[in-house]
Amino acid sequence: MASPNDIKKGVVIKDSSGLWLVVEFQHINPGKGAAFVRTRIRNLESGKTLEATYKTSETIELVEVEHRRMQYLYHDASGYTFMDQASFDQVTMPDDAVGDQGKYLRDGMEVNITTHEGRPLSVELPRKMTFKVIEAMDVTGGNTVSGGNLTKEVTVEGGIKIHVPMFIKQGEDVIVNTETGEYVERAKKE
Amino acid sequence: MNPDLIRARSQVVKLVRRYFDEQGFLELQTPRLVGVPGQEPHLEPMWSEMKEADGTSHRGALITSPEYAMKRLLAAGFDKIYDLGPCFRNGEPWDGTHDPEFLMLEWYRRDAGLEELMRDTENMVKFVAKEFGKPFPEAAFRRLTVKEAMQQYANLDLDALLENREAMAQACREHHQTVGEHDTWDDLFFKIFLSEVEPKLGEVPTFLYNYPVSMAALARKDPQDPRYALRTEFYIGSLELANGFAELSDATEQRSRFEEEQALRKSLGKEIWPIDERFMQALPNMGNAAGIAFGVDRLAMLLTGTQSISDLMPIPVRERF
Repeated sequence: MASPNDIKKGVVIKDSSGLWLVVEFQHINPGKGAAFVRTRIRNLESGKTLEATYKTSETIELVEVEHRRMQYLYHDASGYTFMDQASFDQVTMPDDAVGDQGKYLRDGMEVNITTHEGRPLSVELPRKMTFKVIEAMDVTGGNTVSGGNLTKEVTVEGGIKIHVPMFIKQGEDVIVNTETGEYVERAKKE
Repeated sequence: MNPDLIRARSQVVKLVRRYFDEQGFLELQTPRLVGVPGQEPHLEPMWSEMKEADGTSHRGALITSPEYAMKRLLAAGFDKIYDLGPCFRNGEPWDGTHDPEFLMLEWYRRDAGLEELMRDTENMVKFVAKEFGKPFPEAAFRRLTVKEAMQQYANLDLDALLENREAMAQACREHHQTVGEHDTWDDLFFKIFLSEVEPKLGEVPTFLYNYPVSMAALARKDPQDPRYALRTEFYIGSLELANGFAELSDATEQRSRFEEEQALRKSLGKEIWPIDERFMQALPNMGNAAGIAFGVDRLAMLLTGTQSISDLMPIPVRERF
């Protein structure tokens, strides 16, 4: 048995209705109540997602998952296909299972795939990735204020749109946090 | 460190003070270090030991809120008072929304109830946001009873579940929540509330009010329906900013609720300490007051669009310990 304090993104909870992959989690301390862990979980059979909240003092059952190093090959109508770097087996994950993170995948890149009994469950991307800015306008209109700084929207490789400080120019490399989709800093020039 | 964010927090603090000063409230600097801290079952004070010059030792704690001192000052005759300063809570996560030392604002009015608290909160937040350059729309903030929110977001009739643990347990099972044998009614309520209500409140500033009486140890009961207590919480973007009560001044009732809290602390294996008798003595003179605690750092987070409280702290917790 495990504690809800062991809940992380990618762990699998087993309960009477089946296996549930944790897609998001957050520790909650309402002050007026006990401590809780709020999760968003996805059923591995039906694909149904829901919110479940666990009291940190209760016990839950987590199932063993494996983390396998795989190379991203391509995307097509059936989803994202990866190749196991050790066995050369190929696996395909549907778009729903990869979710929003799919846009960060680049041909040939290596990622960790969480699997349960050989079945791919989720993709773990590096938390920070570098992207080249392919389209940035030197504009003064349409700015938004974030954290007291002026930002603008640019497009980086893969067609991803992110908000960056005004000084970022087309052709520069920027580092993006893949969990939040936010700009981190300008990549150092080599 | 982003100096703009540190400056922005400072500006928010100044604007909050300006609002209350202009409304004729008196700022009181109540003590941070006290002999008897609050004993809310799920809050942990930070304890310390003090010595007098002759070596006499006193156990003391940093306040988790200025509430006891503020109520004693109301009882002593003060009206329209506020306190804005650091409060301390032990054992909370060092995450994006908590720092063990954070800025808390509390204000109190005599002869007032939830309506006055919600009005003060709305006016203050709108004033600060406007002066900060991030005004809210003119529209009135949303007001929902907890019963209405549970109906709207979780499709549950709270009246039918009140004080009935088995009914609440059944609701939890139907809503895919776990039910543990040690879960109290409040725990089960929170599982549904935190999963299905709080995350869906959205960007519209919202007051939830009238909480089940078991969840409001320091609040007066609603005279229309004594199963509910006159407590309100204020949310923006699913972030809780404030928690207020029409304050209980009946010392007998207060003592029995404190004793229930002590029993709960004991059953959770937590330390208990004596009830603050100076507070108890003052309580009946407080009249029908209302008061609310408001997280100033969280307001600064919202106005600056900052995800983490650490970005606003001049020296965040991980750089202090």
